[in-house]
Amino acid sequence: MSTAFRIALAVPVAMTLAACGEPLPQLSFEESLQQQLIEAEPGDVISIPAGTHELTRSLSLNVPGVTIRGEGMDSSILSYRNQLQGAEGLLVSADDFLIEDLAIEDTVGDALKINDSNNVTVRRVRTEWTGGPLETNGAYGIYPVQSSNILIDGSVAIGASDAGIYVGQSTQIIVRNSRAESNVAGIEIENSTFADVHDNIATNNTGGILVFDLPNLPVQGGRNTRVFNNRIVDNNTANFAPEGNIVATVPAGTGLMVLANDNIEVFGNEFVNNDSANMMVVSYHITGLPIDDENYDPFPESIHVHDNSFSGGGAAPDSEPLALLREATGQAVPDIVWDGTMVPGKTAPDVLCMRGNGDADFVNLDAPGGFAAPVFEIGPHDCAGAELPEVSISTEP
Amino acid sequence: MIRHLLPVLLPALLLSACAEPRFFEQDNPQRLSDWNLFRDDGARLIPREQTLVFTPANPLFTDYAGKLRTMWLPAGEQARMQDGELEFPAGSILSKTFYYPTGADGVLLESANHENELDRQQHRMIETRLLVRREDGWHAMAYVWNGEQSEAFLRVAGASASVSLQRPSGIEDFVYFVPNENQCAGCHVTVHPDGPLHPLGAVPEQLAAAVLNQNENPDMGHPSQLRAMQERGWLEATSPQPAAASWEDTHAELDTRAQAYLNIHCGHCHNPDGAADTSALVLDGNHRNPVEFGVCKTPVAAGGGAGDLLYNIYPGAPERSILLYRMESSEPDEMMPELGRSLVHEDGVALLREWISAMDGDCPEPVRAFGNR
Repeated sequence: MSTAFRIALAVPVAMTLAACGEPLPQLSFEESLQQQLIEAEPGDVISIPAGTHELTRSLSLNVPGVTIRGEGMDSSILSYRNQLQGAEGLLVSADDFLIEDLAIEDTVGDALKINDSNNVTVRRVRTEWTGGPLETNGAYGIYPVQSSNILIDGSVAIGASDAGIYVGQSTQIIVRNSRAESNVAGIEIENSTFADVHDNIATNNTGGILVFDLPNLPVQGGRNTRVFNNRIVDNNTANFAPEGNIVATVPAGTGLMVLANDNIEVFGNEFVNNDSANMMVVSYHITGLPIDDENYDPFPESIHVHDNSFSGGGAAPDSEPLALLREATGQAVPDIVWDGTMVPGKTAPDVLCMRGNGDADFVNLDAPGGFAAPVFEIGPHDCAGAELPEVSISTEP
Repeated sequence: MIRHLLPVLLPALLLSACAEPRFFEQDNPQRLSDWNLFRDDGARLIPREQTLVFTPANPLFTDYAGKLRTMWLPAGEQARMQDGELEFPAGSILSKTFYYPTGADGVLLESANHENELDRQQHRMIETRLLVRREDGWHAMAYVWNGEQSEAFLRVAGASASVSLQRPSGIEDFVYFVPNENQCAGCHVTVHPDGPLHPLGAVPEQLAAAVLNQNENPDMGHPSQLRAMQERGWLEATSPQPAAASWEDTHAELDTRAQAYLNIHCGHCHNPDGAADTSALVLDGNHRNPVEFGVCKTPVAAGGGAGDLLYNIYPGAPERSILLYRMESSEPDEMMPELGRSLVHEDGVALLREWISAMDGDCPEPVRAFGNR
């Protein structure tokens, strides 16, 4: 080969190298974690090392079959105290998702949102707003929505300005062994079906556990939820939800509220010192909000409350009709409150059956009659309600 | 003699061989220049003549940035019109370069013109996003320009840039966000979560608008950009397509403009199959009644985004409407759209305010029997 030809070849090579001379940018922890989440393959485990990791933008995962694993909910902390972008901390739209042993703190919006996913496990995860209950806290802590086969186990949710653990528009759900504290709603099951909520602690929330069904949503007809063996204690925190949100209507001091759901079994729970009422069963009409949805059933039905223990509570109701009742009777608001609304033609036991709740007392508020003639007799509700089957989910064979 | 010419000729030959865009079927190159979409003479970034510069009829707001968009189809390939959709062949590349005109002292200016090339003396380029049509569908990625403006690098996880922008009200300092690849899908996947990624600007109703690029054949008058594609042999002749209504079209009806604004800024998530269907708010024009686009509709999971207001749209009362509250917010947990902007879009807010103000009717006042406050 001639010398000239060799030189000719060398020139373009040198030009190419020069073009590649710009060094590639270095990635921060945050960028490299987000890149791992984007480039993950099914079966991958993404590790969050111990330490407090500052993030400024939402993380997101769209790849199925991925596990995100920290070294403990008090060790591996994703802190969003300086968050600049994104309406949540971690946003997941991915089936077969497992997240465990880490914390998500101080997100500007929701902490962990899981949308449209099947087979979701959230285990030993803590979501927390560390400044206490503030209206400026994000709305939801652990937040699966339009999802199925959901297990939330051993988790902790603190300080959400809407709900700490919120499962919406979903089916096949287990929430267990978890603690919800200092949220507006501790645990909320909304527009969902087939949920078991058990062995949790709900304390110092505005409302401990809420089971709601709301109109004008693509998924409604909330039913078949069992709430059992929970401790629902001292849920007396003043309501700090922004106005306009449905939970902003929940009186402080609500232990358990069932709103417009059907087929609910409540048993083995310990209700203590929830100062509006330990338990309420109400229709959507109680919110005073308009209903413009012909497919929506605003009335609760087939609510079975048995073998619970009640102590204290009802002493300082944060609700006008309950406060008037307390004044009129000179007594604490009864443990179990029903607003008294029902579909014409139905009877009291169609709505609410109660047995074996110790010396729990009861009131039918007569909301349809303008709260004029409350009824305290529990007798009409002495019936054997249905026992619902255990919820099974695909990740817990 | 020939020997002596070779060192001169060979690089020239290589350069001309490189003079058209290059498609990568598998891995995304780290550098934007590898795609060869632009002729870069150091002073200016100029789209290669094989590309078509285009502008959608109903554009999206991105923090007052200018956008230079190009389209390229591989030689001999054609797009097809199928069921009202434009199907691009594998190998097609769409690009969008976000830039600001530069002012004094590093302050950037709102973009007023549609530039066909970017003079580095007068513009700062922030990012170039690509949509690449491969055999398995569209792929989205963003390249971020370095400080020297000499190269843009692939940033899978997105990036941010500090910007000082001259606004009529004064200088606004903000952080401009380049989306990560999941965030690209957040808008370009309209059927959540498993639908395909697809273009939002290079669609028939957006391209049916007139060509704005003066470099395109001036003898053509102002034909639609679909015609421009046909002229290049990229598209079979088709029957004329109706152009999308534009929120910018001040001759159009107020309702048409407002719905066009909501469609392009919100409809990719707020549609019956979109990521925001959890809220039951439908803003892509497919609503069945006014409640679905927010009239007297209560929020579902808006949190602080509800702004202490009860209804999404309160007719005649923009100040009581959550929709306007969220458009006027730039807090990440409150603002809408959630992505794609850091600043409030004043013109958009003004349009929607006028639209809501012109609505008749009232929403019921809730009588809160149980209310805690």
